[in-house]
Amino acid sequence: MAGFLTMAKKEFYDIIGEKKFLLIFGTLLIVILVSTFQGGLQYSSSQSSTTTTTTMPGGQVPGGQGPGGNQTRPIQFMGSVSGLSQALSSMVTNFSLVGGVLAIAISFDTINSEKQRGSLKTLLSYPIYRDSIVYGKYVGGLLAVALVSVVTFMAGIGVFLGVTGLALTMDTVLRLLIFFGVSLVYMAIFLAIGLLLSIVLPQPSTSLLASMIVWLSSIQLIPNLGYAIGQILYPVRMTFREGGPSFTMQSGFTTIRAIISGLSPSTAYENIVNSILTTSELQFTSNQATIVSVSVDKALLTVAPSLIYFVGLLIAIFAVAYIIFTRQEIR
Amino acid sequence: MGPIIELKNLTKKYGNLVAVDHNNYQVMEGEIFGLLGHNGAGKTTTILMLLGLIPPTEGTAIVDGADIKENPLQARRNVGLLPENAGFYDNLNAKQNLSFYAELADVPEKVASDRCEKLIDMVGLGDKRPVKVGAYSRGMKQRLGIAQSLVREPKVLILDEPLQGIDPEGTRDLREIIRGLSKEKGVTIIFTTHVLYEVNRLCDRVAIMKNGVIAGLGTIPELRKQVNAAEGEDFEQVFLRYQGVV
Ligand SMILES: Nc1ncnc2c1ncn2[C@@H]1O[C@H](COP(=O)(O)OP(=O)(O)OP(=O)(O)O)[C@@H](O)[C@H]1O
Ligand SMILES: [Mg+2]
Repeated sequence: MAGFLTMAKKEFYDIIGEKKFLLIFGTLLIVILVSTFQGGLQYSSSQSSTTTTTTMPGGQVPGGQGPGGNQTRPIQFMGSVSGLSQALSSMVTNFSLVGGVLAIAISFDTINSEKQRGSLKTLLSYPIYRDSIVYGKYVGGLLAVALVSVVTFMAGIGVFLGVTGLALTMDTVLRLLIFFGVSLVYMAIFLAIGLLLSIVLPQPSTSLLASMIVWLSSIQLIPNLGYAIGQILYPVRMTFREGGPSFTMQSGFTTIRAIISGLSPSTAYENIVNSILTTSELQFTSNQATIVSVSVDKALLTVAPSLIYFVGLLIAIFAVAYIIFTRQEIR
Repeated sequence: MGPIIELKNLTKKYGNLVAVDHNNYQVMEGEIFGLLGHNGAGKTTTILMLLGLIPPTEGTAIVDGADIKENPLQARRNVGLLPENAGFYDNLNAKQNLSFYAELADVPEKVASDRCEKLIDMVGLGDKRPVKVGAYSRGMKQRLGIAQSLVREPKVLILDEPLQGIDPEGTRDLREIIRGLSKEKGVTIIFTTHVLYEVNRLCDRVAIMKNGVIAGLGTIPELRKQVNAAEGEDFEQVFLRYQGVV
């Protein structure tokens, strides 16, 4: 495709040369390093005291209305039960927050800044297809995001391994690689959202605002909406017994809430990654709970619907952006 | 020499407004062709349709042997454009901007560097080489725009208001550039402008648009004759008659 490489290369160098990029990249790196350091310390202490029975919120708000709240997962009691998932949970949460911001910061003005500058007409007068321009710009952005992800992951995981002294098994490496891949897709989704808005909205200031609203919806609004709708449809039941009132959640609540909040890319991302990083879980048989290990295959199978939705969402958003741009009048 | 551009009922409507209204004319190879008309007459719309930036509502055009609807890429392959109000990448200097466009046009790297340097001198930006375009004046940007339109060594050069913001020396240089390209290299040049004086001096043929319609077409003597212009009557007067103003 003529012009594709030229566009991708230019976009990539433009992005990594910008101050805003370095600023958010730096922020992400610091946040990830701090959270993996803390996660590492927690992991080590939970490993040494195997009898700990405290509830591990793992970055989740009790009651579960936090953005990462995932009630479909078995409740985890000990660090050693969930393994990596619990130790890296704040890295996951932070990545879903700052990673989204970084992707948006990169892409919110991809096309409308060219329009404003008056360089898009020039660009389109060259013998290249518009495909080359969207693909090129998108891939340039993806490369920048990949660069960021590689650096943050290497640094974050490096710190984590350093603190815990954990030996890398094939299983762990595999889980981390999937974690990395899913994180890339997550950022690619926000990159596509920014691209789409930069095509639809003529002003970069408007598309920035719109992108931030989408981001906010993803981390906060949609999960909260899931909680609220779940409550409306399946309110918490209050019953009175001798010891006082007790509250029971109806199972429908959990399902509705999981479905709606799972529509948010951030929740979907955290659910997928947490499942992939969960190495073992509690299984209840008649009267006792046993710890069983969860293989990567099994974890992948569990999150398959979310994963399909996740990738599908990316493709759908990019396709809409592509279709609109290739048909748009440029003057 | 045959026609290199041929408009066939080329039409663009915006709702009820007909910006370009069933235009039919040809531009001959090697000719300097002026596209005139009041603000909003449809000049820019015509140009953007020829380059495939906006789709025609009706009709089509053949550019360099290719239909703009069926094969837009081939149609603009050998066309250079200076768009109205062209902008550049502010963080790059002239050479870096031009090199990017040269790469897009598939100009081999070795040729490109030399060509960009020559174009920078040609449009009088030789002493601004290290300056980033963000620090350019309006006229300097316009000069760079002219250089950009020539990076691909086009067979057809389309300039939308090239004189905008350019000083008298630049205007003289541009006139020489246009003449040279037409006479020595056989390049076809289409330009729009409101500076009738230059039209009078430069153009082989002229089309005058009025509300999307072609109100006049021909050489300047032909246009004068059609409206029975008196000997020595200013071309401005002639133009205004076509516009229905006088
Ligand atoms: N996106 C649009 N929507 C509606 N009308 C439009 C649009 N773009 C242009 N027009 C109208 O089309 C007509 C032709 O505009 P065009 O830009 O081609 O004029 P022009 O001859 O280049 O004028 P100027 O000399 O001012 O550059 C104008 O009436 C303009 O208002
Ligand atoms: Mg115009």
